[in-house]
Amino acid sequence: MINVFESVESNKHKSWLVVAGFVGFVLAASYLMARGMAAYYGYESTGLEFLGLGLVISGVMSFASYYFSDRVVLGISGATPANRKKDFLFYTVAENMALAAGMPVPKLYKIDDTAMNAFATGRDPQHAAICATTGLLTKLNRTELEGVIGHEMSHIANYDTRLMSIVTILVGLLDLLGDWLLRSTFWGRRSRDDEDKSSGGLFLVLGLFMAVISPVIAQIIQLAISRRREFLADASSVKLTRQPSGLISALKKLGADKEPLEASNRATAHLYIVDPFKGLAKLFNTHPSLTERIKALESMA
Amino acid sequence: MIYLIALAAVVIYVVATYNDLVSLKARIAASIQEIGNQLKRQVELIPNLEASVKGYLKHEKDILKMLAEARKMKDPSKKVAELLPKLQVVVESNPQLKGAEVVSNLMNELRDTSDKVMYSRRTLIDLSADYNIKVTTFPTNLIAGAFGFKSEKGFAVSEEDKETPKVSF
Repeated sequence: MINVFESVESNKHKSWLVVAGFVGFVLAASYLMARGMAAYYGYESTGLEFLGLGLVISGVMSFASYYFSDRVVLGISGATPANRKKDFLFYTVAENMALAAGMPVPKLYKIDDTAMNAFATGRDPQHAAICATTGLLTKLNRTELEGVIGHEMSHIANYDTRLMSIVTILVGLLDLLGDWLLRSTFWGRRSRDDEDKSSGGLFLVLGLFMAVISPVIAQIIQLAISRRREFLADASSVKLTRQPSGLISALKKLGADKEPLEASNRATAHLYIVDPFKGLAKLFNTHPSLTERIKALESMA
Repeated sequence: MIYLIALAAVVIYVVATYNDLVSLKARIAASIQEIGNQLKRQVELIPNLEASVKGYLKHEKDILKMLAEARKMKDPSKKVAELLPKLQVVVESNPQLKGAEVVSNLMNELRDTSDKVMYSRRTLIDLSADYNIKVTTFPTNLIAGAFGFKSEKGFAVSEEDKETPKVSF
């Protein structure tokens, strides 16, 4: 039995550990690939310019989806704004959770779908939006909805959109570097690597090895970070409501709901409170399993 | 050079901690205002809600009373003739009588307003706890002591508020 503050802290630490491991891996992999490229081009280049170029391209590609995240995702999902009169429960629960989290009330939207799900997006608390399906709003009672909205509110308060965008940029960087290295060695000229022949060869081999495996490993770590942030959002939600039973019973209802969400796709899957696809190997999941999450919540209860 | 860097680090730490404590105090003060704000909302909201619900329920009760009287009569046609225009107005503006819905909306509003007061108190409690931890734990307690920061008492419940209200029907 741990109290909710300890749970939030320990989840934060674990999350930062995974993020630090990820950054370390990206540094090592991109270094090796840059050295591999340098060795391939016979040290005419240091390989660092590829690193810089990759970072810029990957950054530009992900920036729009980060900066306009609230509008883009809502556009894709076909959401409409919620109002206080029609969606009294949703609206007032969100107001109260914002009060407890000490942040402005996010823009509220609903998706007209009988499947039960919800997500939060936006680059910071001032530009955040929470979206829930009508199925979720009709099937949960107030305490359960507080748990779910508290979870989404915590994603916003913990800047998860920002974190996942940075992670996506770095995964994109490794993709680009790996792609360039493989293409250039496949099509390109072989250089006269006259100096330092043996170590150049070693770096080329290591670089090629990294080019093949690092995008996969990076994605696996990205998913691990995503799962960690889910645990953190669950714990933070309980910190807001102090009623783990609400979120537990909501997750049970969500788990029992077998209906897939039509409005979601691969690009938006990680945003939702429960995986909208359901099933898939554990390692490749954006969300921890519901049983694991319920177990973690019950340890706080 | 090393001493200079160490000194700079200490100065930055002291300034940051001082600012942290000052802003926490300001947020505690703001959270107390927020409680007042929510209480004021409640004070303004409840009588209005009560009046509108009472108004509606009275209107519904009158209709039901008239209908009951009409049923009791041997020859209700006269009463019905008198009642009919009134009923028509009622039916036109209210396809069905919806007292239950009005009362349930009232209950929702009441729960929401007391939740809002509770969550604004929660903010005060959490902020005071954060602040008190900083004031009492090492090494921030040294800086708090040096600048005379004292523990906040947070939110206190009076004895009569601790009694569980009895529900009777």
